Amino acid sequence: MSQTVAVLKRVGLILGLPAVLVATWWFTSADSQEFYQPPLSKIVEVFPKTWTSQRIVDDVVPSLGRFVVGFLLAVATGIAVGVAIGSNRALRAFFEPVLEFLRAIPPPVLVPILILVAGIGNDQKVLVIVSGAIWPVLLNTIEGVRSVDPVLVDTCRSYRVRGALRLRMFVLRAASPQIMTGVRQAQQIALILMVISELVAAENGLGYSIVQFQRGFQIPEMWSGVIVLGVIGVLLALLLRLVERRVLVWYHGVRAAERSQR
Amino acid sequence: MTQAIAKGRTGAPPVLLGAAGLVAFVGLFEVLPRVGILPEAYFPTASTIGRTMATLVTESSFWVSFGETVQTWALGLAIAVAAGIVLGVVIGTVPVLRAATASTIEFLRPIPSVALIPLVIVLVGTDMESTLILVVYASFWQMLIQVLYGVADVDPVARETALSYRLGPWDRIRYLVFPTALPYALTGVRLAASVALILAVTGELVIGSPGLGHDIETANSSNSIPRVYALIVVTGLIGLAANLVARAVERYALAWHPSVRADVPA
Amino acid sequence: MLEIQSLRKVYDGHGRQVEALRDVTFSVGDGEFVCVVGPSGCGKTTLLRTIGGLLAPTSGTVTVAGQTVSGPPDQLAVVFQEYGRSLFPWLKVYENVELPLKAKGMPKARRAELVNQALASVGLLGAGTAWPWQLSGGMQQRVAIARALAYEPRVLLMDEPFAAVDAQTRADLEDLVRSVWRETGVTLLFVTHDIDESVYLGQRVVVLSSSPTTVVEDIRIDLPDERDQLNTRGLPLFVELRSHIYSLIQKAKRTADTR
Repeated sequence: MSQTVAVLKRVGLILGLPAVLVATWWFTSADSQEFYQPPLSKIVEVFPKTWTSQRIVDDVVPSLGRFVVGFLLAVATGIAVGVAIGSNRALRAFFEPVLEFLRAIPPPVLVPILILVAGIGNDQKVLVIVSGAIWPVLLNTIEGVRSVDPVLVDTCRSYRVRGALRLRMFVLRAASPQIMTGVRQAQQIALILMVISELVAAENGLGYSIVQFQRGFQIPEMWSGVIVLGVIGVLLALLLRLVERRVLVWYHGVRAAERSQR
Repeated sequence: MTQAIAKGRTGAPPVLLGAAGLVAFVGLFEVLPRVGILPEAYFPTASTIGRTMATLVTESSFWVSFGETVQTWALGLAIAVAAGIVLGVVIGTVPVLRAATASTIEFLRPIPSVALIPLVIVLVGTDMESTLILVVYASFWQMLIQVLYGVADVDPVARETALSYRLGPWDRIRYLVFPTALPYALTGVRLAASVALILAVTGELVIGSPGLGHDIETANSSNSIPRVYALIVVTGLIGLAANLVARAVERYALAWHPSVRADVPA
Repeated sequence: MLEIQSLRKVYDGHGRQVEALRDVTFSVGDGEFVCVVGPSGCGKTTLLRTIGGLLAPTSGTVTVAGQTVSGPPDQLAVVFQEYGRSLFPWLKVYENVELPLKAKGMPKARRAELVNQALASVGLLGAGTAWPWQLSGGMQQRVAIARALAYEPRVLLMDEPFAAVDAQTRADLEDLVRSVWRETGVTLLFVTHDIDESVYLGQRVVVLSSSPTTVVEDIRIDLPDERDQLNTRGLPLFVELRSHIYSLIQKAKRTADTR
């Protein structure tokens, strides 16, 4: 019996506050006369009509497609360049001030320039995503590669582990916790830039749809779009966490072992 | 004991190399547009950008915008930091609250702040307040998460010692929670500051509230490309300055702090 | 097999010059077990790293199997003191032991043979699928030893490998090293700060002075080949040898203090 109680308690804790918040929203907005704050019931009502499979194919898929391409490109390039720079003390020193400056530029301000250079098509949007998402990956990779344990460096030297094997089995693995931190931040930035590139100039997409709703005064639909965007953000973060858990199994094990010795 | 091999004895010192990197970067930006590898219409030379910046700082309207951006940023950051600390400490120290809010935090936190832009436009308008809301929303989560980590990191042995000496909640916060959470809080401020600036400028760019972001959009629509670049450089410098100041504060505040912790992944 | 000739190492540190090793000369014959002891801070680790090719000497030479050392030599393996940090935490025990063999380009079947053999000889045959951080300190050091063994080196260097392990585990590991040495016939250079350990393990003990380091004495250990913790350490010869070395080191420390 106490097992059921324990499970109920867990479920209660997880769903409790969210349920209360949603209920509060539902009831306080129920009688809303405000044009821009429709009742939650109305928003829920328009959901299936708005997010038909047609719209999903026409808007959501292209958005996510651009996100995935931009994100993966940023991660791959960031890691590759990060490893190259991070492995060499002179290169690190050479690039540090420039990189610190470039990463401090808020990515969205580059959008106007990128539109000039690359137009308003998919290429430009992917470029926008990469231009912002690459920095956390690049900088965290440099940091991760820089701070590998010197004992392991000596071990590799001693046993003549070199080249591609060393990169694969040592450098990348050792830096992976730090790299994953960068990847997580990159995912958040990539999503933000995906939306922004569509708010500014687009022909399709999730952000584009939301703006269209807003301009067409279809407010409940606009709200529903915002919710969809929020849900996508949550799902992506969750997905990334699952990936991280698998890739960093060893790291969590080491940390747990250290903590238990404290 | 294996000591790190004394590397890098030979070769130029890092400061010189870094300066060389900067010079090379600016140099590239000067040469490539001139030579035509980068189209000069879209990529003004570094000297053109420099001259535009020099003109910019003489215009009072620039400083007005500058002030507006910094104001939005600083105010938003202050609110986010304060809320993050208060809520973080309260939630972090009461286990029931922590458990009950965990799912909500994990759900709200990854929602991209830009998702709020359409809402904020229709509900609040296109003034500074809208951008402020974006700034506060995005930076609050950065701060909250770090403070929660910090509070959670209190050494259980130290906590039990404090309890056995019957230290009241205020004292516990002062002597236990504060020193442990301080490094995390400072990291949180640094991350929040960075996010806050991005959102401030983004809000101005997209929503149109007054500030440097809005000026960029204006310059862009009137095709003053060097001006766009000049403003971009200015925002980059602001971000850089903020980052350096935050790191200096961290180093100073933690110089006497016994524990030095690495960044907890945000 | 191993020739160290007039080895000198000077460190350049922030304007100061530190002469860690002044003139170290000794040799280790094929299949010999030689221990190196000295007072703390006498540059034992520097010496080992130079022999292992991880550090370049300021002058003097190290020769392994007739070849001058100018980088980590082939056929030489090192077991470091920080066992915990010398194993890759993202690789399981089996993969850790296997890695140097992969670097050698060995085919999979042969690798499996050597890895399992090595794990068996340190008593960890069943632990291949464990993560290093799941193991105790003593077991981690065994894995490091197994890794060195699987590599089939002709020379094995060990840098105070049991310094950070508790006394009982250390006794077990000492016996393990001796039995492995007798089985494989590898040339073994063992650096330690523990005088008793050096006498118990070695056929010879090289005693170092304090910094700047030279060789004080090269002592032959005439204890029987069959040694065990209980009996050997009680033998009069053992006591005599260790006292002799102890007094050498005390003298070395005193000379350092008056310099």
